Amino acid sequence: METTGNRVSLGEIFRTFLIIGVTGFGGGMAVVALVERVCVHEKEWIGHEEFMHGLAFGQFLGPFSLNACTFVGCTLRGRIGGTVAAFAFILPSFLIVSFLSLLYFRYHELPELQAALQGTNPVIIALILVAAIGMGRKIRGVEPWAIALLAFILAAFFQVNGLALLVLTALWSLARARFRQEHR
Amino acid sequence: MGSLATIAWTFLKIGLVFVGGGYVLIPLLHRIMVDQYHWLTMKEFLDGLALSQLTPGPLAILATFVGFRAGGFAGALAGTVAIFLPCTALMVFLTRRYERLRNIRLIREVLDGVVPAVVGLVAAAGWKLGGTSLVSLRDILLFAAGFAILQFTKVSPLFVILGAGALGYFLHFS
Repeated sequence: METTGNRVSLGEIFRTFLIIGVTGFGGGMAVVALVERVCVHEKEWIGHEEFMHGLAFGQFLGPFSLNACTFVGCTLRGRIGGTVAAFAFILPSFLIVSFLSLLYFRYHELPELQAALQGTNPVIIALILVAAIGMGRKIRGVEPWAIALLAFILAAFFQVNGLALLVLTALWSLARARFRQEHR
Repeated sequence: MGSLATIAWTFLKIGLVFVGGGYVLIPLLHRIMVDQYHWLTMKEFLDGLALSQLTPGPLAILATFVGFRAGGFAGALAGTVAIFLPCTALMVFLTRRYERLRNIRLIREVLDGVVPAVVGLVAAAGWKLGGTSLVSLRDILLFAAGFAILQFTKVSPLFVILGAGALGYFLHFS
């Protein structure tokens, strides 16, 4: 799927990811849910399927949240787009943490951030849930649903590492694809 | 205090290991920063970890905090750029090839096969956070309001999240 008729400007990419960087409380999945909402639904920069593929291999490469941003930027405007998105996303965190580090190492105290977090946490959970519901709607067929459910149960109740789950699923899909090829 | 080159090189190495998955980051940083280089005390490290969790952005922004301790603002900059460089470069590299790779049937089928697992992981992250964060009636009300707004309206998440933060701050003092 070609995503864009007219090219998205680098300034627009920068602004969008800067805002995502400012509001990306909770890291990881919270940011992914945010990127999904803004880039797939609001701006329609990238298709659902492409985004999900990007997430899948973004998870293998370390910081999930940053990778999701890099992926979207890169899909829109190539190397420069990816770099701009990654830079804009990290910039607010970098400035905030630098400033707080300065205060911390001077006064050896953490500012009163916990209170604000008590307000954002429930909303972030809602954001993640809304994203999961939206993504779940696109799942078709019994086997994909079984995989989704199994992944959920293993990760939520048995603390199985997400990366391990993805590797296992990839191997399973690979084996199945090979099997199908041979039996045709 | 470490020299800028040492800081940058150290974080670049951490960034490379980090590519394999974010799970090793905390024990690795701890061993190198606290035990090996003595850039931080144990308490400072834990406070930095809390700080990274409380601020927006990825947990790896801990590199900014540690870099700051090791070499001031320049150290923070060097540490941050170095730790995120390998994964961003690799991600850009892979995404450029994704367009071509996805046309290969086998790769496409594997990618499609992994998607449901990602959905399960997203849901699991919400579930786990919910178990630890939704503890009072106020939390549940905020959650319900946030869910309704995000699910049924097109209000930007920027306002919803920052608004909830302001509300939390305000309610805390009332």
